[in-house]
Amino acid sequence: MTESTKLPSGKPRIETIEMRGITKRFPGVIANDKADFDIHAGEVHALLGENGAGKSTLMKILYGMYRPDEGEILLNGKPVTIASPNDSINLGIGMIHQHFMLVPTLTVAENVALGLPSSRGALTDLDRVSKRIVELASIYGLKIDPSAYVWQLSVGQQQRVEIIKALYRGAALLILDEPTAVLTPQEVDELFVIMRQMVKDGHALIFISHKLHEVVEISNRITVLRDGRRIGTRLTSETTKQDLANWMVGREIGFAPDRGKVEIGEARLKLEKVECGSDRGTPGLRGVSIEVRSGEILGIAGVSGNGQRELAEAITGLRKVTTGRVFLEGKDITNFAPGDITELNLSYIPEERMRDGMIKDFTIAENMILREHHKMPYSRMGFLNLSDISKHADELIAKFHVKTPSRETHAKNLSGGNIQKVVLAREISRNPRAIIAAQPTRGLDIGATEYVREQLLIERRKGVAVMLISEDLDEILALSDRIAVLYEGQVMDIVPRSEATPERLGLLMAGVHPEVSS
Amino acid sequence: MKKFVLTLVLALALVLSACGAPATEAPVATEAPAEVPAATEAPAATEPPAAPAEPFRVAVVMPSAINDLAFSQSMYDALVRIQEEMGGPEAFEFVYSEGMFVVDDAAAAIRDYATQGYDLVIAHGSQYGSSLQEIAPDFPETSFAWGTTADTFGQPNIFAYEAASQEGGYVNGVLAATLSQSAVIGVVGPIETGDAKLYVDGFGAGVAATNPDVTVNVNYIGSFSDVALASEAATTHISAGADVLTGTAQMVVGAIGKAEENNALWFGTQSNQSSLAPSIVVASQVYHWEVTLREIIALINEGTLGGTSFKANLANGGEVIEFNPDYALSDEAKALAETTIQGIIDGTIKITLP
Amino acid sequence: MISDLFSVTVLIGILASGIRLATPYLYAAIGETFSQKSGVLNLGVEGQMLLGAFAAFYVALSTGSLWLGMLTAMIVGALMGLAMAYVTVNLHAQQGISGIGFYLFGLGMSDLLFQKLMGNVETVKGFPKIYIPGLSDIPGIGEIFFSQNILVYGAYLLVPLAWFVLNKTTLGLKIRSVGENPDAADSLGVSVARIRYFTIILGGVLSGIAGASLSIALLNVFQQNMTSGLGFIAVALVYFGGWRPVGVLGGALLFSLINSLQLWIQVLGIPIPSDIAVMMPYVLTILVLVATVSRVRSPSALSKPFEREN
Repeated sequence: MTESTKLPSGKPRIETIEMRGITKRFPGVIANDKADFDIHAGEVHALLGENGAGKSTLMKILYGMYRPDEGEILLNGKPVTIASPNDSINLGIGMIHQHFMLVPTLTVAENVALGLPSSRGALTDLDRVSKRIVELASIYGLKIDPSAYVWQLSVGQQQRVEIIKALYRGAALLILDEPTAVLTPQEVDELFVIMRQMVKDGHALIFISHKLHEVVEISNRITVLRDGRRIGTRLTSETTKQDLANWMVGREIGFAPDRGKVEIGEARLKLEKVECGSDRGTPGLRGVSIEVRSGEILGIAGVSGNGQRELAEAITGLRKVTTGRVFLEGKDITNFAPGDITELNLSYIPEERMRDGMIKDFTIAENMILREHHKMPYSRMGFLNLSDISKHADELIAKFHVKTPSRETHAKNLSGGNIQKVVLAREISRNPRAIIAAQPTRGLDIGATEYVREQLLIERRKGVAVMLISEDLDEILALSDRIAVLYEGQVMDIVPRSEATPERLGLLMAGVHPEVSS
Repeated sequence: MKKFVLTLVLALALVLSACGAPATEAPVATEAPAEVPAATEAPAATEPPAAPAEPFRVAVVMPSAINDLAFSQSMYDALVRIQEEMGGPEAFEFVYSEGMFVVDDAAAAIRDYATQGYDLVIAHGSQYGSSLQEIAPDFPETSFAWGTTADTFGQPNIFAYEAASQEGGYVNGVLAATLSQSAVIGVVGPIETGDAKLYVDGFGAGVAATNPDVTVNVNYIGSFSDVALASEAATTHISAGADVLTGTAQMVVGAIGKAEENNALWFGTQSNQSSLAPSIVVASQVYHWEVTLREIIALINEGTLGGTSFKANLANGGEVIEFNPDYALSDEAKALAETTIQGIIDGTIKITLP
Repeated sequence: MISDLFSVTVLIGILASGIRLATPYLYAAIGETFSQKSGVLNLGVEGQMLLGAFAAFYVALSTGSLWLGMLTAMIVGALMGLAMAYVTVNLHAQQGISGIGFYLFGLGMSDLLFQKLMGNVETVKGFPKIYIPGLSDIPGIGEIFFSQNILVYGAYLLVPLAWFVLNKTTLGLKIRSVGENPDAADSLGVSVARIRYFTIILGGVLSGIAGASLSIALLNVFQQNMTSGLGFIAVALVYFGGWRPVGVLGGALLFSLINSLQLWIQVLGIPIPSDIAVMMPYVLTILVLVATVSRVRSPSALSKPFEREN
């Protein structure tokens, strides 16, 4: 088997792929600047880099979604032209996109068959496709029902459909773009089992991730990109997480943030048996009782869609609480108008920072006074006081290191990290009593993530009560004093920092009580 | 964004070139007038001063097409006749905007014409009333005419005109009752109001006066333009046993077709509808607005710009019953029609509307 | 008088005219179903119908060939579709607004051509009724279902055909995926642009036939603005039918049958004011829509232009 040129799927292997001197320019930016990359059969090659380092662009070029301006791609030593996804599929290259490329209203078989010629000509041949799916699934140990609709599947199952889809098309090389971002720790483990099997069978896998510990765990080699170029490639066995982080950012990164000793005080935010609906009309929260105390960070862990959004919105007055009570510093604020809750010095860093956190077409200065615009000194008798607004903006831009051409720049023209800094600046500069931070670092690069986390810790040190809602377990573990796990709108358990392990939290996130299951 | 605006503008430009802008080409008044200069022209009683140096200029805004075989065509035909009478485009010039079923567009056109200094701007549609009421005071030197109505809003520069369409309706009804063998007659109307209601009620009165045993089924379809529904309404009447049909407004062309297919007789109104189905159209009540227009033009030339309301009827020749020469109407029936017309003119027949 | 409604003649009359009235809706709405399934909202249906109606009528009148008229209507519809596709697919124009633009274009252009080329309302001899041997002799049923012209039959055959194409062919699979998740389709090498061009042009062709069904099969006249909002109702029927051909059929029949019912209600002299009667189809359709709408979901990518990210 080791010397076979065929994969278990019956398709030929890709021995090597080399990308040489790839340059891709977009208006105003060079996404890839003479970047090199190579991979061979039987390895997991991790691609690391901050946001904007050029990872996605490089992979989209390999998959035929972009054409490079310069450079060449060699397959098994011979130059090839990849002008479209069709070309790359024909060469045996598959891609698992970060946002799944699935049609929820179609079945698994229909999703797999989409775009392929049918054995019955113009008519679909779903029976045949289903049979082959079952075959492939058994070869690679993936459990999947071809007749299920994709919308019925869990995120992990959907990812398996993506893998099957690529294998069905004869993929010998698979690009996995942040495949673990949406998975629970257990699902990540399952994915890694599948990946190891595939590599053993002679596939080549490119693994893109922000999470260094995963990269170290699964990959054989690691290539780091910065500013569109390759900084270097190393064997995983010869490197450490700390090295990689410094390498990616180009400077020293404090890995375990300094938490310091903080006196835990009185309960500032308290929920008693709170229930509310969700956008889909199903129950959103089911009897949630938690409290966040002065000087502590309460982490809210859970797989996406288990009530996190509803929790934040119920507290901030954006969603109607059907039963139960919410207290802020002892005052009952249940179903207060959002504006009134703001007045009581609760700050909110919303999950959708572009949609809910700012007004894209407003300037930075305007966005910075969204909460306080109607008060002195920004507003006098209904007129905006532009000089004070400008002064305030300049101060915050300097204090929070917002990278922007000017305070008059429109928010939509900033990068994700800088937008989050604007939101953070606005919310923190109000001297809040409590902060709800929902997914505050999602999509940010390592540098910006470090900054945001540092700010939250500074607030904690000031005695603010912080509720940190995050789907990133590493973040929860690094910052929280206590961790509550949400599952289907309920709090499964609240675990003190000292007792929290990824395994324990992972089981809770999957809805399993460790005591009960064992 | 730019692209979308571009698309919209292009599309709108095309549309405007197609139907929106005033069709300034004054229609050529057949071949005749070229040979016969002013002299032989002898229009009857209220003769306007012959061939002034400047032509008399009229603009008209109409809700449907000038060839709708109905309401708008009746006005267009009248303007063509006036032009012939007065000696061609040198003496009488007119422009029109047709298809103005959107009242806001019509209002804009009316204002444009007034700005351009036309002697008379005609708003040919009762739905234009409130727009006209706003526009007229801004142009005290311009004369406006509004039909079909009797209301001049008490303004000195608005004339009103309407047709006593119940009179022709009555005559059509008398004939229809005489010709129907199944004793069921179907009526297709647009919306139960104004000119249409007058005609339909007059028609019903004519039938009832002639033969009370004949059933008149009336159907208002709720639209002036839905040809498909009008046609289906006609089919419904025929299924219900009707062998004679009539209808009013421009969407009845569909109904006439169904009548022809099923060999049912048809009575027209507003314009002469014989050409559409020569075998089954018996007679049409035709509006001759030129009777009214002549009087309005004379008043304007004398310096009176409005304040009067006119009614076209059988007596003053503003309404004429035109028989279809291709339909063999018996002499008795024709005589009955003539007697009825005479009776209405001299007042011996009183039409009572419900 | 209300009891008159339940006589055999009246019931047959209602059903037969309901079947006929639904014909143009079916062509236009099935065409619109295809384009919406692929994610394109085409509000220009009415304009395509008007131009189609005129083209069919004028060609049939001047050549004497109804089929040539039909063909012209289809070509005109296809060209309108092509233009709509270019504007929405290549230029990424806002679909609702450009659709309205095409409606106005069709409205104005059909009228302009009518004035320039014909000048008068005329009639043609349209497609004759085809009596299906045997079946058309069945009392009642025969008159309702088997004594109609060819375009009426065609409209009803289109429904299962459209269902089959959408659900059983690779083309249908591509259309559905492009309307739900164009990024996914694109990543699998399905050309989103090509599929949308196809469905928009198909929609144009079917709208052209819808127009022709009025001008040379059902009414046999052409008049300015003769479609009178029918194309917009067809678009509404697509929503009503939940983007399924059978649902569209149900909606078209419901609307048309209530319309023919209200015609009969007036004819029979049942004392309901005519203004109320003519509202019935709209009111009832809205009521049914309100009762059912929550259960259906529009194609996710409907009316969103597709562009590969950055």
